[in-house]
Amino acid sequence: MVELPASEAVLPLSVDGLVVAYGERRAVDHLSLSVRPGEIYGLLGSNGAGKSSTIKSVVGLLRPVEGRVRVFGTDPWLDGVAAKRQIGYVPETSQLYEALTPREFLEFVASVRHLEARVVEDRLRAYASAFRLETELEEPIMTLSNGTRQKVLLVAALLHQPPLLVLDEPLNSLDPRSVRIMKEVLARYVASGTRGILFSTHTMEVAEQLCDRVGILDRGVLRAEGSLGALRIRSAAGDGTLEEVFLRLTEEEEGVAAAVRSLGGV
Amino acid sequence: MSWREAFRLSDVAFAELSLQAIYAFRQGNLPPPEAAARVVRKSRTRVLQSKVIISVVLALLAVAAAALLRLSGRLVANGFVAPNLPLGVFDAGVLTVLLSLDIAFLWWTGLQMLPTFLASGVLPVLEPLPIDDRTLRRVAGLVYLRLFDLPALTVLVSVPLFVGLAVGPWAGLALVPGLFAAVVFALALALLTGRFFVRKVQGARGGGGSTVVRWAYLVLWVVPAFSMFAFVTAAPALFAALGRIAAQDPSWGASLLFAAFPFSFAVVPSVIAQGPAGFGLPTEAAVVVAAMGVYLALAAWAVLWMFESVRSIGAAPAVLPAAGPAARIHIAPRTPAFAVLTKDLRIASRTPGYAFLLLLPILDAIAIGLWTYVSSPGSAAALGLGLGAVTTAALLATFFGPAFFAIEVNAYSYGRSLPLADRSIVLGKVALVALLYVVAAALVLSLTLLRVFEPLVFVAFVAAELPAVVAAACLEFGILFRRARRRGLPVVNFYSGAWYALLVTIPGLLLAVAPVIAFHYASYAGAAVGLAVMAAFALAELAVTAPIGFGRGTR
Repeated sequence: MVELPASEAVLPLSVDGLVVAYGERRAVDHLSLSVRPGEIYGLLGSNGAGKSSTIKSVVGLLRPVEGRVRVFGTDPWLDGVAAKRQIGYVPETSQLYEALTPREFLEFVASVRHLEARVVEDRLRAYASAFRLETELEEPIMTLSNGTRQKVLLVAALLHQPPLLVLDEPLNSLDPRSVRIMKEVLARYVASGTRGILFSTHTMEVAEQLCDRVGILDRGVLRAEGSLGALRIRSAAGDGTLEEVFLRLTEEEEGVAAAVRSLGGV
Repeated sequence: MSWREAFRLSDVAFAELSLQAIYAFRQGNLPPPEAAARVVRKSRTRVLQSKVIISVVLALLAVAAAALLRLSGRLVANGFVAPNLPLGVFDAGVLTVLLSLDIAFLWWTGLQMLPTFLASGVLPVLEPLPIDDRTLRRVAGLVYLRLFDLPALTVLVSVPLFVGLAVGPWAGLALVPGLFAAVVFALALALLTGRFFVRKVQGARGGGGSTVVRWAYLVLWVVPAFSMFAFVTAAPALFAALGRIAAQDPSWGASLLFAAFPFSFAVVPSVIAQGPAGFGLPTEAAVVVAAMGVYLALAAWAVLWMFESVRSIGAAPAVLPAAGPAARIHIAPRTPAFAVLTKDLRIASRTPGYAFLLLLPILDAIAIGLWTYVSSPGSAAALGLGLGAVTTAALLATFFGPAFFAIEVNAYSYGRSLPLADRSIVLGKVALVALLYVVAAALVLSLTLLRVFEPLVFVAFVAAELPAVVAAACLEFGILFRRARRRGLPVVNFYSGAWYALLVTIPGLLLAVAPVIAFHYASYAGAAVGLAVMAAFALAELAVTAPIGFGRGTR
């Protein structure tokens, strides 16, 4: 058995030299990052920057071409079941068992995760009430709106209170009320100091409010990483918003200005 | 916009439909690690392959009918079919059965494809674009027709060709209007009933009462498939009835027969082939022509209706949410394998394609069991029929097993993010196949025991065959799982992934049938010896294939 460095075994997530490719195209290029205990790590990037590919590699869906991923020291590609037990995952699109109802789906997830009925029911009651899901628990998922599906996925990810939450654009389809609740849930989730959250978004405001550290991903490459304060200093953005920091670090500030100019009177 | 533009747009929409039918991205499947253009090309090829398989079956039906027509002189002269059956009426009977089979087969195919068509969402994408209503209707109609193009063309070309070769070219050509009506009715029936079932079954709420209603609807869904068996099974009775009608003077029965679809379309080719005298039944030309006119008008109206309706059906949400009361929160976690089994049954209860696979062996077992009871054969024959029915149940469960693997494509990427070992999935699927066999066998058993009370032989036979069914399922799922892990894609659905699902059933069926053959030969030394040999054979198979299902290569 390979002896792991002590620090890696307690890290919710460590990614080292990750390369993900679709045919010839590299979606992620030698990415290294880590999520520390008690931390919400925000992965920022434009569309197609490689956020979802990174996340899919972390949760064992996309096999990396190179590099390694460890979830509390476990490689999801060597011992998938053990690694996945530690993860709660919300995918970018609400890909669910369309023919099941949310209750049937959550029962399946609870069974796979070996949860106790009483514990699940208590948690589900609380989340269903918070997200106003009570009347939709027996409707087939295919009839539900995107926002409701997203809520079901969030509940499924939280049901076993995993030490690592991996959330791919989790707030995209939610209504403002649910977004507020979710932000509160996530902030409290890491308060114990042992759990971690990897959170991808392209909404700067959300990242600014929630994340302890952010990594800025651009065309598969990590351009910068750190707290918002550190990134401000690095980008010389002064008191600028995260959006300004992001544009500076991805060297898109001039590109955006040129694009706006080229629109002319359109 | 013109028909040309509509055809061009339907080409784009059909490419998307093929992609969704094969790769099911909208259902949560992951893109394979290949260039997009290659994936699109592959999806079109696979859809074409499936159409070819269906077309070959339809062409074989035409060849079989043509062979019967070719041999009709000998068959009728020997009284092989029914006494007093005139040659022309026999021909018309054969063509009637052929047209009915073509309708049933195309209808069933349509029912299998319609949920995929509706779930693909290809038509809603076009709705917001600045395309006029008429063109959108045409595009929708063309996309729907393209699902059936090759099979429908096969019916329209191969039947006149083979019938023409058998009894003359004019007779073959005279069947074309009937074939046109048959194809149109099948397509319209598929659209009408498919939509109804998608709404009633897929959109139904959870809960006990609703589940019973869903399964009741799903039993109706199996009707077209059963009608294929029924037409073949009922063919002798049809010929006997035709013989009785032919023996009578002109009667209401004959008039009704001439007016009935599709017999009215089968009359003209038969009269052409055998001549009015050889037809053997006074032809009521006015009734035949009027009936054909009515059916052709109905078919023309059905074409217009389809072009009107496909758009509204395809563009609307397949199922609508229904407001319901707050659900009682009750969660009963199970073991992972049992959870997979329960999930599959629940998905099947809202997915007609899968429900069909579950219901067919069970309904088949009931039908054979009832037949044994009603026909009241002698004790030995009933025993033979019962054991044959159990064997059929085993073979059907084994044959349909690989298709249950396709359920895994639902939320495939999400499912793979769960800590679910491959072994648990395989165990759940194998349990489903075993359950299917046991339920079907139990139904045969309970019905046959009413006629022949030899419970020990029956129970021992069912039990001895069970390890072989499990062994076959282990082998099939083991192969499919290894392929899915290597290629990153499971078999998608019965229609689109049919070729691979069919291939993998060949060794499975061999495994399932081998112990029965062993029983057949060993039972000359006594039933107990036969059963012991059978059980030993089946257990040996299980010992060999279990590691394929649950050993290295699955995690």
